[in-house]
Amino acid sequence: MASRKEGTGSTATSSSSTAGAAGKGKGKGGSGDSAVKQVQIDGLVVLKIIKHYQEEGQGTEVVQGVLLGLVVEDRLEITNCFPFPQHTEDDADFDEVQYQMEMMRSLRHVNIDHLHVGWYQSTYYGSFVTRALLDSQFSYQHAIEESVVLIYDPIKTAQGSLSLKAYRLTPKLMEVCKEKDFSPEALKKANITFEYMFEEVPIVIKNSHLINVLMWELEKKSAVADKHELLSLASSNHLGKNLQLLMDRVDEMSQDIVKYNTYMRNTSKQQQQKHQQENMQRQSRGEPPLPEEDLSKLFKPPQPPARMDSLLIAGQINTYCQNIKEFTAQNLGKLFMAQALQEYNN
Amino acid sequence: MSRFFTTGSDSESESSLSGEELVTKPVGGNYGKQPLLLSEDEEDTKRVVRSAKDKRFEELTNLIRTIRNAMKIRDVTKCLEEFELLGKAYGKAKSIVDKEGVPRFYIRILADLEDYLNELWEDKEGKKKMNKNNAKALSTLRQKIRKYNRDFESHITSYKQNPEQSADEDAEKNEEDSEGSSDEDEDEDGVSAATFLKKKSEAPSGESRKFLKKMDDEDEDSEDSEDDEDWDTGSTSSDSDSEEEEGKQTALASRFLKKAPTTDEDKKAAEKKREDKAKKKHDRKSKRLDEEEEEDNEGGEWERVRGGVPLVKEKPKMFAKGTEITHAVVIKKLNEILQARGKKGTDRAAQIELLQLLVQIAAENNLGEGVIVKIKFNIIASLYDYNPNLATYMKPEMWGKCLDCINELMDILFANPNIFVGENILEESENLHNADQPLRVRGCILTLVERMDEEFTKIMQNTDPHSQEYVEHLKDEAQVCAIIERVQRYLEEKGTTEEVCRIYLLRILHTYYKFDYKAHQRQLTPPEGSSKSEQDQAENEGEDSAVLMERLCKYIYAKDRTDRIRTCAILCHIYHHALHSRWYQARDLMLMSHLQDNIQHADPPVQILYNRTMVQLGICAFRQGLTKDAHNALLDIQSSGRAKELLGQGLLLRSLQERNQEQEKVERRRQVPFHLHINLELLECVYLVSAMLLEIPYMAAHESDARRRMISKQFHHQLRVGERQPLLGPPESMREHVVAASKAMKMGDWKTCHSFIINEKMNGKVWDLFPEADKVRTMLVRKIQEESLRTYLFTYSSVYDSISMETLSDMFELDLPTVHSIISKMIINEELMASLDQPTQTVVMHRTEPTAQQNLALQLAEKLGSLVENNERVFDHKQGTYGGYFRDQKDGYRKNEGYMRRGGYRQQQSQTAY
Repeated sequence: MASRKEGTGSTATSSSSTAGAAGKGKGKGGSGDSAVKQVQIDGLVVLKIIKHYQEEGQGTEVVQGVLLGLVVEDRLEITNCFPFPQHTEDDADFDEVQYQMEMMRSLRHVNIDHLHVGWYQSTYYGSFVTRALLDSQFSYQHAIEESVVLIYDPIKTAQGSLSLKAYRLTPKLMEVCKEKDFSPEALKKANITFEYMFEEVPIVIKNSHLINVLMWELEKKSAVADKHELLSLASSNHLGKNLQLLMDRVDEMSQDIVKYNTYMRNTSKQQQQKHQQENMQRQSRGEPPLPEEDLSKLFKPPQPPARMDSLLIAGQINTYCQNIKEFTAQNLGKLFMAQALQEYNN
Repeated sequence: MSRFFTTGSDSESESSLSGEELVTKPVGGNYGKQPLLLSEDEEDTKRVVRSAKDKRFEELTNLIRTIRNAMKIRDVTKCLEEFELLGKAYGKAKSIVDKEGVPRFYIRILADLEDYLNELWEDKEGKKKMNKNNAKALSTLRQKIRKYNRDFESHITSYKQNPEQSADEDAEKNEEDSEGSSDEDEDEDGVSAATFLKKKSEAPSGESRKFLKKMDDEDEDSEDSEDDEDWDTGSTSSDSDSEEEEGKQTALASRFLKKAPTTDEDKKAAEKKREDKAKKKHDRKSKRLDEEEEEDNEGGEWERVRGGVPLVKEKPKMFAKGTEITHAVVIKKLNEILQARGKKGTDRAAQIELLQLLVQIAAENNLGEGVIVKIKFNIIASLYDYNPNLATYMKPEMWGKCLDCINELMDILFANPNIFVGENILEESENLHNADQPLRVRGCILTLVERMDEEFTKIMQNTDPHSQEYVEHLKDEAQVCAIIERVQRYLEEKGTTEEVCRIYLLRILHTYYKFDYKAHQRQLTPPEGSSKSEQDQAENEGEDSAVLMERLCKYIYAKDRTDRIRTCAILCHIYHHALHSRWYQARDLMLMSHLQDNIQHADPPVQILYNRTMVQLGICAFRQGLTKDAHNALLDIQSSGRAKELLGQGLLLRSLQERNQEQEKVERRRQVPFHLHINLELLECVYLVSAMLLEIPYMAAHESDARRRMISKQFHHQLRVGERQPLLGPPESMREHVVAASKAMKMGDWKTCHSFIINEKMNGKVWDLFPEADKVRTMLVRKIQEESLRTYLFTYSSVYDSISMETLSDMFELDLPTVHSIISKMIINEELMASLDQPTQTVVMHRTEPTAQQNLALQLAEKLGSLVENNERVFDHKQGTYGGYFRDQKDGYRKNEGYMRRGGYRQQQSQTAY
């Protein structure tokens, strides 16, 4: 029972938390050439992730863990997962690989799928498009092609709808990352923009029939009040937080642009100056002016700033904007509904 | 031998004392003669004393001695140096060596040195321990000596075969040498002693010295005592001393080398020593005399008199007895004395005394005021010259003398209006005695006084400001002022406008920083009785300093042609106005002068004065309750963090490394004397308090505004420092008080704020320093109330729907009209979104403050704006075209920017409000 729900959603209908699979895949998200077209997540995994966050995650802290499962045809089935321990200052020498291997071995002993198919991470107001995520997802995907990252947003979930999304890097970005060249030229050549960095894979949450039956029954029994959190009209806090974060990113973006601008100016200035100087010297010596190519050899141009960060920031800004758009749209819907209700009552 | 010459010259110089001779004799006539003779003589003594061989050999032995010493302390570098010298010396002595054969001791040192070096060379351990220089020297020296010794191989081998013998021989030889030399010495000494004795007996008998006869004993005594002095100080005769010492060393060296002195020799040596000593003493004496002689020749004979100064004091011996003292003679004398001026080795103190003596003589002989004035000028000049170094200051007694002298000079000048004094009067056109015509004397009283002022400043700079001594010195200030006043009066009558301007400036500089308590008092007590009595009173107490400043400055404004004097005068005038709380006059003058625009071109002292003036202006504004003006005036000085340096009240340690000694000296000279200082704590407090009064309401008004700018960085810095404190105790320092007060004010708690700003501690530290402390305090309280009210309204207006003005007036203890006016002003300035409800006397708030989200959205929009702009710039760059399409668009964007401002936003909102 996997229901797809669009963001602008009529909130009243999809009240059940288990039913609210957050597969908001956009059309462009799924790429044709990848073997995996869909991610099927076991209910167990979802519950484990939620539990993990509730027990260990607080505020801006994120929790992470490993996804286990297997690939069936064009479908990635995630059947189990286990958490990573929280990093603390004390156990700096904690060996993650060792831990993973041992966990997987142990799980194999109890007959659980032990194929490593990705990892999951919680997020704080959707701020997950970071360098760290990119790097680790790259290494995962480099090793296991099918692997995805599940992003779990506890705050949105707390508002009444489960937010769980599966992402993976686009093949383009994989290539760029493989070459590790983030100079403006390389990115330009790869024709990569923030939109084509991550692709979202549609997810389906799968439960056993027995559980589904239980769900229906529970839903019938649950009081109306339990579902009311979805109807909360209080929006300012969430919106404010999102705006704040968005603003921070915009600031970073600005700085990045300024940096880039300076770089451009410096390069052109240097080129002009050096060229002129060199040519003047050559002229005085009676030699022909230098051709352009020699120049770049003679004088080291300033180090171009890596553009990956600004790409990531742009991606992050995009996510925030999506979030805000979604949120405001929902809230407007709620407001109109409330208004209509009031008029009706009057 | 030298004795003889000395005696001769002595008597001659003595004879020249008689004056008659001198008058007729051209001063420069005997200039070069005697010193020349003397120097020849000196050389002679040396050449005659020792034969060339002895001299050379002594040189060698000396060097060898040092080498041996160096060997002992393993200083190979020294060895190398000395060895090179030795080689040179040996080369010089070549001719003698050719005659006499290679001296044994020379061979010995060569052999020893080589052995020593080889030994060192073998000693690997020791070599390792050696420092780099030594090791290097060792290898070079070893190579050199090997090479060098090749020439002496045969000698060295023979020496090595029989070292004992050669050593003995050596000793013998040395003995012989020293004997010979000592003999010669003896001879010479005998002669010199004889001549000395002769001189003693002869000198008084010289006819030119007749007049000294009575004083002979005394003279001798004084000479002796001076001898001792010379022994101690050795400053004048240091040259001769060192030479002497060298001689002594060589003599001693030859003696030390004696291995087994016979008793005979022993005696001789002892005898010689004694003689040596005697000789040395004589020598020194003669040297000194010689020097004096030289000086005499250079600058007139007076130096010789030094020995007899006490004597001269009792009985003026400037001129020979019976000489008719005329103008010509005195002036001649004066010129002679003056010629010694500035020369090395001239005893300046004695020169001054001599000049004073001359004045006395002139006065006694009624030579007329002209001459006296002339001499007085020179005395003062000499007093100024007393210190050769510009940085050092006059000794108190000198300073006293100087003041007296200037006073006397002024007395004379006032008493004799027919004396013309001027810089531009040439020496030739001076008229010192012709009573028929007005007397004309060269010299500038103004320069003297200016110099005096400088000296005074220097004395004050160099005195510890917290000592009693400083107070003592400060007492002289009155005298200095009095002199300046006198000179001013004098110049007003006689001087040119330029001179008057200069003296006026001097007067101004001594007036502007003083608070006129009398005038202040007069102002405070309003006219009670009739205007007439008040007038009398005013006359009695003299001119108000304000009136005085006005008069002097106006004269300078009108007459002065040099920019500097006018600038200084304006600044002082402003300072004076500011000091006496005439804010508007001060400000207008400052603005009219346009000094703010071009003060950076002025020289540092004027800039310091400018800074002082600005600070005073700021403090004045503060006293008037004009916090904004105060803040602006003080901003430049305070924001730099170098107020101390900018006001010339001390050097910063931080920049000490950046400047070298020279610069530091210059800067030290620029320092303002302590009694002119502006209290830095007061300054900072005034600045911080005015910043607080401005900044806190501003902060409250723009709490959520991203574009908020700091008014005062320094104030914010202090706030941050206060916040960083882990544990906040009760405030101790002035800054802590202000920070604590600011915090209270932020909450609109004016009572706490008040208690932090005005309390016992702050009174003692700051507020009591103002002349009208109570007035300032009342002003301050009122300001605090007003600004607290504003802050309160800014901060808490959002929680009120309406608020009664009466409540506000109770809360802030302000009367209703004031509250009304403050609120009205805020409403007009769109700082407070509210309206006044007249009948109920309440302020009704309009809920138009943007919510948190709206604020955030506004900020975001702004940030995005700048982002777009930056982005376009990148694009521009890519395009390579500045301007064009995107430029236009950018402008368009900027035009739209207005909507982000609060006012614009409100308009929009009010349109869309529902």
